[in-house]
Amino acid sequence: MKPREFWLLIGPSVLVMGGLLVLPLIRTIQWSLQNVHYGTPGTFVGLSNFTAALTDPRFGRAVLFTVIITVISVAILLVLGYLVATGVNMLTVSRPVVLGILLISYVLPQLVGAVAFSWLFDDNFGGVVNHVIAFFGGPKVLWFTDPVPNAILIIANTVWQMLPFAMLIILAGLQGVPAELREAARIDGASAIQTHWNIIIPTIRGVLGFVTLITIMDVLRIFDSLIPLSPQAQAIGNESIMLYVYSVAFANGAQQLGLGSAVNVLTILLILVMLTPFIRGIFKEAKVAR
Amino acid sequence: MLETVDLSTRALTTGERDAPAKRRRRTKRAPLWVGILLALLCVLVLAPFIWMALSVTKPTDVAFANPPVLWGYQPTLQAFVDLWETTYFADYLVNTLAVAVISTILALIIGIPAAYALSRFPSYVSAILLVLALIFRALPRFAVVLPMYDISRALGIYDTTFALALALVAINQPFTIWLLRNFFAEIPPDLDEAAMIDGCTRIGMLRRVMIPLMGPGILTAGIFVFLFAFQEYLTALVLTDTGSKTVPVFIATQLGQTLPMLQQAGAASMLLTVPVILIAFIAQKYLVAGLSDGAVKG
Repeated sequence: MKPREFWLLIGPSVLVMGGLLVLPLIRTIQWSLQNVHYGTPGTFVGLSNFTAALTDPRFGRAVLFTVIITVISVAILLVLGYLVATGVNMLTVSRPVVLGILLISYVLPQLVGAVAFSWLFDDNFGGVVNHVIAFFGGPKVLWFTDPVPNAILIIANTVWQMLPFAMLIILAGLQGVPAELREAARIDGASAIQTHWNIIIPTIRGVLGFVTLITIMDVLRIFDSLIPLSPQAQAIGNESIMLYVYSVAFANGAQQLGLGSAVNVLTILLILVMLTPFIRGIFKEAKVAR
Repeated sequence: MLETVDLSTRALTTGERDAPAKRRRRTKRAPLWVGILLALLCVLVLAPFIWMALSVTKPTDVAFANPPVLWGYQPTLQAFVDLWETTYFADYLVNTLAVAVISTILALIIGIPAAYALSRFPSYVSAILLVLALIFRALPRFAVVLPMYDISRALGIYDTTFALALALVAINQPFTIWLLRNFFAEIPPDLDEAAMIDGCTRIGMLRRVMIPLMGPGILTAGIFVFLFAFQEYLTALVLTDTGSKTVPVFIATQLGQTLPMLQQAGAASMLLTVPVILIAFIAQKYLVAGLSDGAVKG
């Protein structure tokens, strides 16, 4: 392919991404260094937005909360995703039906799924989960106003919503494990658990790394589902980083655009660090292809 | 890492049927307890919808009873009727569909040639563009959506369906081109050469040879872009007001209001859920292919 053809074909896409992603991003970086309101030019204030963000205890709590949610959710997603993928991998006839059902929570709008999920816990709607807990002799749980149960609710919803993704990618990985490897392990007398731990998991290491990265990035950005799941997020300290940005820079006429943009820039830096191994991989691939 | 995911796709999408006979014999059938656990998991996955469907079809006083009333009441569709008659739900639904359709068509029109070019032009330029796409896929959405709000107000296109659709085309473009590029990469380049020796131009070849061959890949990308636009809450929240509000934004505004409004929010959720569940079942094969081949989730 000639370079001219390449640019002709890719031009529209580059223009759209340049105009609608790169330009806004530059604006965000510019805003992060300014004291600014919507529709007015800002005044340069250096790094004071960054110091304001980093010294704001509310932001600190949002970061801590988001990181805790992310670590726990991703750990559960990996283990559960692996177990479910292993189970689904054994299915033959019923596989499409099971995959179809398991995909539902992934294809729904996050907000809608979270609304439906919250009703199971909501005492206004009969509080099904609390009745189940009471049946087993447990105490009444305040899912929406008590920070720890609320965090558990959010993690449960996150796992529910992202499990299909984790499970499917791991399933794709499992399909790629050569049958000969399993056979050899079986002949050598390895137990099922030994086979999984010593043969299969190391073989699909790349896939597991990929799932970990994507789920970390997606849980770090958690926003939609908190609207129904944690209506009191700020009061009880269960605010996510993105909810914090929303509430300082946009909600109810909030105009601290500089502060919100600084937080966005910090989040981007964090994501860039996490992406480094993948970026290196793509360049290595490009070198080989040349 | 990305390649590992690619390699296994075909086995996954075609399933057991096309697998070599040798491999099929070796696959152990699922033991009963695995089946039972998976069935239980399916019930757990569906539980929120079952409960919501019950809550929405109860009369208002029964729906909010605690402990819940499970039988002996007269089911009603009143919440759906109220939703239709007392809110602008129909408008929001039309807006949501319009945004999804427009952004899907635009995303494919500009994404297909771009993805093709990236799959056939191995160079540092392609690698850099793919890396940029990966980074943009991972960006916190507010970092681009807040400036878009400011810019769209300045341009006077704030709160229009087209502006929201265009924003979603851009936001989903990184996913679209990664996904399509991986599908294109599986078509041998010899094929384009042959068509071009027979007298096709590059564009003609793309239209006559590649697009028909890429049918399933394009369908997969289309389903994903459509779903992403349909699902989007945050972008719609920031870029719309009343004129082009979408259903997820409407549902969020109904929360925390009166009890009948809550039930209407539930009714709206059910109406949005049913078609999406149908899509999940019908397009299951394509969703699976896209998730494992796309390498970057949107």
